[in-house]
Amino acid sequence: MKDNKIGMHTFMALPAFFLYAVFFLYPLTKGIGMSLTDWDGISAAKFIGLNNFIKFFQDKRAINDIRTTLLFALGSAPLLNLVGLAYALLMDSKIKGKGIARMIIYLPAVISPLIMGYIWYLLLQPSRGFLYHLMENMGQADSFLNWTAKYSSSMLVLILVNVWQYAGMTMVVYLAGLQAIPVELYEAAKMDGASGIKSFRYVTLPLLVPSIRINVVTNIIGSLSVFDIIMSLTGGGPGYATESLSIYIMRMCYGSKTGYSTAVAIIMFFLILVPVLISMRLTRAKSLE
Amino acid sequence: MKRKKLVSVLLCVTLCVTMLLGCGSNSTDNTGNNENGAAASDSEAAASASTASTDTATQEHVTLKFFTGKIETIDVINEIINDFNASQDHITVEQEYQKDASNIIKIKFAADQAPDIMTTYEKGFLDEGKYMDISDQSQWWDRLTPTMKDLCTDITSGNQYRVCTNMTMAGIFYNKDIFNELGLEVAYTWDDFISNLETIKTNMPDVTPFFIFGNEAWHLGHLIEFLPQGYIKATYGTVAAETAFMNNDKSILNYGAADGAMAVFAQNLLDMQANGLINADVLTATSDNCIQDFANGKAAMFSNGMWCLSSILEANPAMESSIGFAPYPAYMEGSNAVILSAEDSGYCISSETKYKDEVIEFMNFLFRADNQKKYSETLKAPSAFTDVEAAWASATIVDEVSNALSSATNIGFTNSKPAGFSGDDAGRLVQELLAGNYTAAEFAEAFEYNWDEGMK
Amino acid sequence: MNTFKKMLIYLCVAAICLLCLIPFVILIILSLNTPQRVFYEGNMFLPDFYFQNFAEGWVKSNIGTAMINSMIITALAITIIIIFCSMAAYTIARFKYKFNTLIFAIMISCMMIPGIINTVPLYTLMIDLHAINTLWGMALVCATLALPQSTFIFHGFIKSLPRELEESAIIDGCSWFKSFWKIVFPLLKPASASIIILNGFGIWNNYAQAVFFLQDSKKHNVPQALSVYFQQFAGAKWNLMAATAVIAIVPVIAAFLLFQKNLIRGLTEGALKG
Repeated sequence: MKDNKIGMHTFMALPAFFLYAVFFLYPLTKGIGMSLTDWDGISAAKFIGLNNFIKFFQDKRAINDIRTTLLFALGSAPLLNLVGLAYALLMDSKIKGKGIARMIIYLPAVISPLIMGYIWYLLLQPSRGFLYHLMENMGQADSFLNWTAKYSSSMLVLILVNVWQYAGMTMVVYLAGLQAIPVELYEAAKMDGASGIKSFRYVTLPLLVPSIRINVVTNIIGSLSVFDIIMSLTGGGPGYATESLSIYIMRMCYGSKTGYSTAVAIIMFFLILVPVLISMRLTRAKSLE
Repeated sequence: MKRKKLVSVLLCVTLCVTMLLGCGSNSTDNTGNNENGAAASDSEAAASASTASTDTATQEHVTLKFFTGKIETIDVINEIINDFNASQDHITVEQEYQKDASNIIKIKFAADQAPDIMTTYEKGFLDEGKYMDISDQSQWWDRLTPTMKDLCTDITSGNQYRVCTNMTMAGIFYNKDIFNELGLEVAYTWDDFISNLETIKTNMPDVTPFFIFGNEAWHLGHLIEFLPQGYIKATYGTVAAETAFMNNDKSILNYGAADGAMAVFAQNLLDMQANGLINADVLTATSDNCIQDFANGKAAMFSNGMWCLSSILEANPAMESSIGFAPYPAYMEGSNAVILSAEDSGYCISSETKYKDEVIEFMNFLFRADNQKKYSETLKAPSAFTDVEAAWASATIVDEVSNALSSATNIGFTNSKPAGFSGDDAGRLVQELLAGNYTAAEFAEAFEYNWDEGMK
Repeated sequence: MNTFKKMLIYLCVAAICLLCLIPFVILIILSLNTPQRVFYEGNMFLPDFYFQNFAEGWVKSNIGTAMINSMIITALAITIIIIFCSMAAYTIARFKYKFNTLIFAIMISCMMIPGIINTVPLYTLMIDLHAINTLWGMALVCATLALPQSTFIFHGFIKSLPRELEESAIIDGCSWFKSFWKIVFPLLKPASASIIILNGFGIWNNYAQAVFFLQDSKKHNVPQALSVYFQQFAGAKWNLMAATAVIAIVPVIAAFLLFQKNLIRGLTEGALKG
């Protein structure tokens, strides 16, 4: 049905857009302009064209940071979705104490990130933390040390901690999606002889596509712009081993390379845009099926 | 119906116009370098408008913004501010504390919102004219020790842009009980220093001879500051060294040379790591770990500033008489042992403040001998005012410190670091070194490269 | 078989809860330790029961005021998010005006732009609006940051609602605008509940923006109150910080328990059922 009457409903996006325009788009246009200058945050800015962008791709540290970021996202985004979905399916089943269980799952998000990093350190710090002592008692101290000291595995630690902390958030969206599926559909499927895995495949999954789409997109964005988890656990270190692009941007911004940092932010935007567009295209095709 | 259509069209048009305007301002930013100027004049106008309105509204009542990143002093400064606010009725001072003050201040400057008084200081901002010249405030300078006045003097102009009220020292903290037990003496040369560490390692296998908390980049940055750069500062003297840092004078800095102070420092560090003289978890150890291990006799020595004294005493109040303090041993041929003796608690006044007289009035109050005594005792740092007698630490520690100061060349902080290569950045390079990603020579080259890049 | 399956589910849920409780337990242990205590030594799970941390933490950090400020900011921002975003998502999902598509595209793509680009211009803007040190200013900024994702979520849910529901109302003489409030908005409870959960904690714990926009210590929010225990070069006073953080979590849990019936009902009452 096509609606060509114009009424109040036409303008319903305006309040949100107005707020967004004032507090995001307007400062953004100013910010983007800085990417073509050599502004250092204090002295007068000079227009330098695309030099910032060229410089980025010549910087070894920047290329390393892209690699780190992609590696993190590749591990984190799919895992977050799977774990979130698993949590949601568990919490959707008919069990007692669901309310309390859900609240507990959100608890990690209530603890201020300022402290979170410290708590993780108490748990995971090599040769001092709780996990180390646990492993030591089991006679596995050396393998634990090797595991946490290596670059690739410290990335693994970061990914696991990230999944642990944000799985509850992914779960919330899936849970809402699950609740929106009419019970009749399951019953109908049951009548047709489909149960368990089959009804999940043919009833739950297709109807969950809107939630999947939301979660995939937000997790891709969240993982590729990861900042606080890495900052509080490793500070991007040792050296630059686990530095993500967001941390790089922040350091450049405060390191008197304000213009350059905005250029990197724009590059990061395109880096995120590609996988997001792909996943949106994929989920759109699925929902039309 | 028609009217509704009209409204919608109008709305769309305004929307497009605003968006085009956004793009328009964007393109002017790109073509000219007036973006900064425009932003500045905008907010200046706003600022003057707001001050004008407050002037008319409350007749001469002035509010001063005091910006600090020094958490240890929040309470005592608040106490002094409250006394001041109560002592007169035309000025109110407000303190703003920020955990990340040195970064936050950059944003404040960039947005033209400098506080009236700030405890952060950077040579780059000085060169941009952000600080007020306070050379004429003789009521402060006459009371300050001459060394402190020198430390507060900008070497480019010879003027003073900040006033520092306290001294701080950094060197090697050592456990006197362990030294006595093993019959060790404070080392002034690198060989003696290493042999001390070896003795501790052989005789006390459970004790870390030298603790480095390399998880915190600032600490490793300080090692660079005190050892290789300390060598430069001690060898050429403060003024010549600062000038060389500022102008990137490679004949003096000599960072990249394979036998230079930077490469030798890196090699020494790698040797210590290879020989097990430092903690094995150097890359993940934190300052808290270091303090705890030292306070519990599990670490014999570490490098840090006097600012960590209160943390040690909090972790183990009984330790006071066992804390020793020594200079950094000489590690280059023909050099001296060095110790940091530098300025602490510096205050700058914004060059754009509209209330210069009021700021001075407040600072006169803050610098009164009684207030400074209280301040120094809270901070646990000796006062730089000649007329302030503060009991900043116990007599044994004061003795240790003054012995250490007189036995080595005193150096200051490097104030003229490149804007794009901070002490933390240097520390992260050292992390790479300790992680095995560089040889000593490669590290020296990488350091030089990053320093040069940061200069641009 | 069925009881076995049920047991398995309970076991999984218990394991997940345990995992999520670990940091909270550590926080409580920390808050009960003396400053001299080394966490790793002795029995980690037996704290010193040093309750003084709470008294000292309460006084030193002004956490009471900070909690009220955080509460006001969170409530205000969430209200704005729910109303504005559901409205926007409705018209975007239902009416394919170019203008709506454009707004949606802009918002979604801006989700991918790191916020740090905006820092300086946004700061100047807030000063011009006299919004520095105001709770409403902070709430507006927090709401803005959550707008795209929330609109996206509402959009997804509205699309999954059958259009016939509103069309029958329209036939009964309702306008689209009215039918949104009367029919669609109540159906959005699950989505709204999830948005409250998704954004509420984040706004409560916002630090990145608060640092710039809430400078006055009377306007500080919870993380800022906690940050007074950070010493730049000498670690932090973790015991006090943990005690203060525990104090700050109490009202969140209380609010959660208070609203949980509504929230859970929002989540479980899939309005389409039946």
